[in-house]
Amino acid sequence: MRALVLLLGRVRAFVVRDFQLAVSYRVEFFMRILSILFVTTTLYFISRIFAGSFATPYEQWRDPFLAWITALPFLNYFMVGFSSLANAIRSEQSQGTLEGVLMTPIGIPTLVIASSAWDFVQASFHSFLYLFFGWALFGVEYKGSFMLAVLFLLLTTLVLASIGILSASFAMVFKRGDPLSLLVGTSSVFFSGVFFPAQLISETAGSWLGFVTQLIPTTHGIDGIRRVLIQGQSFADVRGQLFILFNYLAVLLPFSLWVFARSVRRAKREGSLIQY
Amino acid sequence: MSAALSIQNVSKTYPVPLAATRRLLRMKERAPVEALNGVTLEVGEGEVFGLIGRNGAGKTTLAKIIATLVQPTEGSVNVRGFDSVREEERVRAQVGLASAEERSFYWRLTVEQNLVFFARLYGLGSRDGARRIEELLELFELTPLRRRRFGELSTGNKQRMAVARAMLNSPPVLLLDEPTRSLDPLAAATMRQVIGSLARGPRPVTILLTSHNLAEIEELCERVAVISRGRIRAVDEPHSLRAAHRNRERVRLKLRGVDAERALELLRAVQSEESAQFAAEQLEDDLVAVNFERESEDDRLDRALRALVEGGAHVVSCETERGTLLDVLETFERETGEV
Repeated sequence: MRALVLLLGRVRAFVVRDFQLAVSYRVEFFMRILSILFVTTTLYFISRIFAGSFATPYEQWRDPFLAWITALPFLNYFMVGFSSLANAIRSEQSQGTLEGVLMTPIGIPTLVIASSAWDFVQASFHSFLYLFFGWALFGVEYKGSFMLAVLFLLLTTLVLASIGILSASFAMVFKRGDPLSLLVGTSSVFFSGVFFPAQLISETAGSWLGFVTQLIPTTHGIDGIRRVLIQGQSFADVRGQLFILFNYLAVLLPFSLWVFARSVRRAKREGSLIQY
Repeated sequence: MSAALSIQNVSKTYPVPLAATRRLLRMKERAPVEALNGVTLEVGEGEVFGLIGRNGAGKTTLAKIIATLVQPTEGSVNVRGFDSVREEERVRAQVGLASAEERSFYWRLTVEQNLVFFARLYGLGSRDGARRIEELLELFELTPLRRRRFGELSTGNKQRMAVARAMLNSPPVLLLDEPTRSLDPLAAATMRQVIGSLARGPRPVTILLTSHNLAEIEELCERVAVISRGRIRAVDEPHSLRAAHRNRERVRLKLRGVDAERALELLRAVQSEESAQFAAEQLEDDLVAVNFERESEDDRLDRALRALVEGGAHVVSCETERGTLLDVLETFERETGEV
């Protein structure tokens, strides 16, 4: 019980610290809200070009605006899961503050959770804004269970966070040039069907590229969320997607924590913990 | 006295990054950097222990190994019974490190916000943390600056912040890496008082102090280790180290009534008997300084004074300076060929 209180206290300390740092750059905070409003509005107007002009076999894409507005905020969330720890490590290394943090009796899992916490708070707010603007300004209606959508959100974010821990391990030792951020970061937008149906890839480019889309966890996360929020499917209908994500998590999370602990040890051996 | 810090045969060699890849690509090979070699030390509970050495001698690496920020290549470090590699979190709870690295704070946060953040990481609750921060701000005269951003502080105040942070959780072991380096003389004196009082307090703190200020080390430390090229060359009490390495003292006389040339002429009788070298310099029109060395408590000063006074010189002042730790350091470094 004491350990949990201690963990929550430390997570709170990181969130408060990052909030204080964020409000020290006030303009950025408001510009981000404005940019989400612009993106949502732009997507709405693009979708109006196609309104009622074509019939699509892809059920989730009958209203492209709805498909985009359900994918973008969640992709944003997943990417935070993927990149937040590596970014935090890079930022602490480049500022030189990692030494200060690692001089305190803080464990590696706590560091992993706590240093990403603010990014998740921020991403939750930004993702909410996408959905809110869609609903309040452009009349989007979401179906299905929000709890089920949140389950997909959590599971996919944890899977991406596990890959993110591997990416942070790379940053810890090699500092720059992380191949994972290139592979997962850029390919997720293309392969996971954020802007167009992922099935189009296998139908037009062949089954091996279709296989790649299935390898990427965000494909299953976004598909699951759309099934719930657009098609109104139930737990029984989406359990296949949940199962795939759970398997990813079961393998990647312990593996990535093990790699991260080793990379910290290696950086300590090389004396490069605070170098960038 | 039981050992608060036990350092056994610690060596640290920084490997060349990506050495295997460099070999594979037949790139020019670089030699690994040997920072420490077979360092063995014990520091007792409540002892103030000094570590002196030139830049790059291995002082900071040793402090970082004790604080678990760097792992030793060989050997072990034990802090109050906890191993620095196997039980690093427990070691960090026992140790506060104040390094000279001012980048380890958040520059856009205020003094107080920085301390609150680190207090939480040390596991201090809101009330305990606030009370401790209040005490430390007071102790280091930072209270008027509490709402000032860290980046706006002077270098000296940043240094005080580093020591304050190291003391947040009242650790039983403090590692102070050049704690007065950027402080003005008054602030440095206050810092020395604080360090001294910690060791003499009701719960004596064990302090490992590295410094280039040898007077400070002599004033504060019960024992001193001389480190050179990653090896400990000697460990002893400061006065014993001085005595063992330099039983001589420098003498400086200021005279009126004679010029530099006449002073040397008068001293020639003394000089002819001994190998001592007298040097004289004209400071002002009627003021001459004579410098020489003598073995402690020999009669050369007596004979020099007599010769000068009988020759018509008026002795204005006589200053003597015993061998310092600087002499000790220089002796060891001459032996290892560093100077």
